[in-house]
Amino acid sequence: MRRGSARQRDFAPSVLDVARDTEDWAATVGTMSTRRKHAGLRAMTAATLSTTPAGSSRPRRGAARSRAAGFGWALLRWATVGLALAVTIVPFFWLVTTSFKRQIDYLAYPPELIPPVWTLDGYRVLFEQQDLGHFFMNSVIVTVTSTALAVFIGALAAYSLARARLPFRLNGILAFWMLLTRMYPAIATAIPYFLIMRDLRLLDTLPALIVTYTAFNLPFVIWLLIGFYEELPIELERAALIDGCSVWMRFRKIVLPLSAPALVATAILSAVLAWNEFLFAVMLTRVNAKTLPVVMSGFITDKGTQWDQMTALGVITVLPVLVFALAVQRYLVRGLTLGAVKE
Amino acid sequence: MGSVRFEHVTKRYGKVEAVRDLNLDIPDGHFMTLVGPSGCGKSTTLNMLAGLDDVTEGEIYIDDQEVSSLPPGERDIAMVFQSYALYPHMSVRDNLAFALMVRKESREATQRKVADAARLLGIEELLDRKPRQLSGGQRQRVALGRALVREPRLFLLDEPLSNLDAKLRVQMRAELKLLFDRLATTVVYVTHDQAEAMTMSDRVAIFDHGVVQQVGTPLDLYNQPANKFVAGFLGSPPMNFLEAEIAEGQVRGEGFAFALPAWAGAVGRGTPVTLGLRPEDVTLQAASGAAAAPISLVEPMGSSTIVYTRIGPNLVAIETGKDTTLRAGSTVALAIEPNRVHLFDATTGESLAPSG
Repeated sequence: MRRGSARQRDFAPSVLDVARDTEDWAATVGTMSTRRKHAGLRAMTAATLSTTPAGSSRPRRGAARSRAAGFGWALLRWATVGLALAVTIVPFFWLVTTSFKRQIDYLAYPPELIPPVWTLDGYRVLFEQQDLGHFFMNSVIVTVTSTALAVFIGALAAYSLARARLPFRLNGILAFWMLLTRMYPAIATAIPYFLIMRDLRLLDTLPALIVTYTAFNLPFVIWLLIGFYEELPIELERAALIDGCSVWMRFRKIVLPLSAPALVATAILSAVLAWNEFLFAVMLTRVNAKTLPVVMSGFITDKGTQWDQMTALGVITVLPVLVFALAVQRYLVRGLTLGAVKE
Repeated sequence: MGSVRFEHVTKRYGKVEAVRDLNLDIPDGHFMTLVGPSGCGKSTTLNMLAGLDDVTEGEIYIDDQEVSSLPPGERDIAMVFQSYALYPHMSVRDNLAFALMVRKESREATQRKVADAARLLGIEELLDRKPRQLSGGQRQRVALGRALVREPRLFLLDEPLSNLDAKLRVQMRAELKLLFDRLATTVVYVTHDQAEAMTMSDRVAIFDHGVVQQVGTPLDLYNQPANKFVAGFLGSPPMNFLEAEIAEGQVRGEGFAFALPAWAGAVGRGTPVTLGLRPEDVTLQAASGAAAAPISLVEPMGSSTIVYTRIGPNLVAIETGKDTTLRAGSTVALAIEPNRVHLFDATTGESLAPSG
């Protein structure tokens, strides 16, 4: 007992010492990091400010170190940006240049990055051999219709879920349930889906794709918009309620105009998804209702891949999306950040 | 047209009682203020009257018509929100016209009413701006205008001045009072600011913990508070409370003894009470000796001076003239007219003064 307390007494000061040491250490680190932070500023004034010789040399060393570190950081930053750009731009660059190559050039090894001879043959053959206008229109109709439906239905659903107070926590359950459809790989439902569409006699028709894309884009439209509507100040709607608005009028006159940026953002995202969708398009269409991605896949044949036509169609497919995205870019950025933070 | 009657109205959120058994009459044309600390049930009461919150029990009548089941749009009321709730995507003109548009009034009538309201509030040159281009005071006027164009039988205002800075708030307070005096429409005004309640209202209802503590004219409430809560809520600086006991002809406590008011003869000797002293009712005389209290702090307010002195364990605020020569450290004696003394039951806080 006595021993124990004696040891404790011995032990206690040492703990305190450690604590004091740690404190000193923390203080040192603290000044070091502040010094580093202001090193750039101090480097210029160090000579005039410091009175002791030691003081004058130390900040200068720190400044040199931090200048090197600053350069290192800048390099790392640019390298990261460069890498991100390379990952997105190089494939696109290759797609565009390949579409202008002759067969001998796109099969060349090592590959030619820039075509030695520029040709439009890929595009010419593509337009001669395919009913491109038809398939392009298929893609447009399917994309526009399914996007419009998904955003319209999604906005109604999201508004209801954001505003209605359902019993048994049904709001959360319903919202989660909708997300379920995005949680399994689409291919898992491919065969039943195909059989259902066959029984409905919808195979190789545009409605089949429209219904499919609408259903698949809905959860994601709803989730994006719920967040937005929950942030919309409730007092606006209370004011409208007192002004005599019905639910529908409130939605149409107040909520919809205010959510325009969010609607545009979700519309763009769901349109891009529908435009590029391949799995269900290839499964549900054969001849008439083919969309551009399906046509593109047709260039991979047992006799080889017609890279020139495939990439040419790739360029043609990308163009409308690019133009559309550029046109509404302003809304996209605003819409995606809107509702994320309280203003 | 526009009298309001609450009959045994109770509002519960789950198990929490926000308003309990509210009975309140608001005569036509009156400016009625519901005042109290936050969470006291005043806003819930207003929301129930507006139809934005359901009534759990009881009835609400507007002009003797039971309205509990009417949607807000059919109650013929207008409301001004604390956040103004202007429609951000509409111009001021469209904001003002919105309710008329919903009611499908003719274009000419709408234009005329919007122009009238804009002129009344001095916002004619703002009509084509969007709310985000307006200052706080201008937004406040637009919010008022949106209520005015409706020509409702009842105006509901929910803390309309609390988002303005102090100077503008005092100015708008007077303007609002003048405006509603002119319109002679019933107003139900919710605020947590006792100064707004005192200055603007015909009648005030003071809420605490979901229960109305007292209803009356501002001066009635100020001079004859029904309980300690009302007494402490109205007035700035607030009433001083001292623990005391009734003695022969006196109310006595640690470090003080004041003469009892005439009506207090019925209160038994030895009864523990809470003594209430309004800062402006106490007079100070320079003094020394056992009865003298030292001054702890002097606060010159410009128009008057607040002097803090220690009596027993309590710091007591006393309002005195702006020309006072008293300094911290001087000693004073306190005096008060016996009939200015307030006495409250030490346990329940109810006033011991005979009511009426």
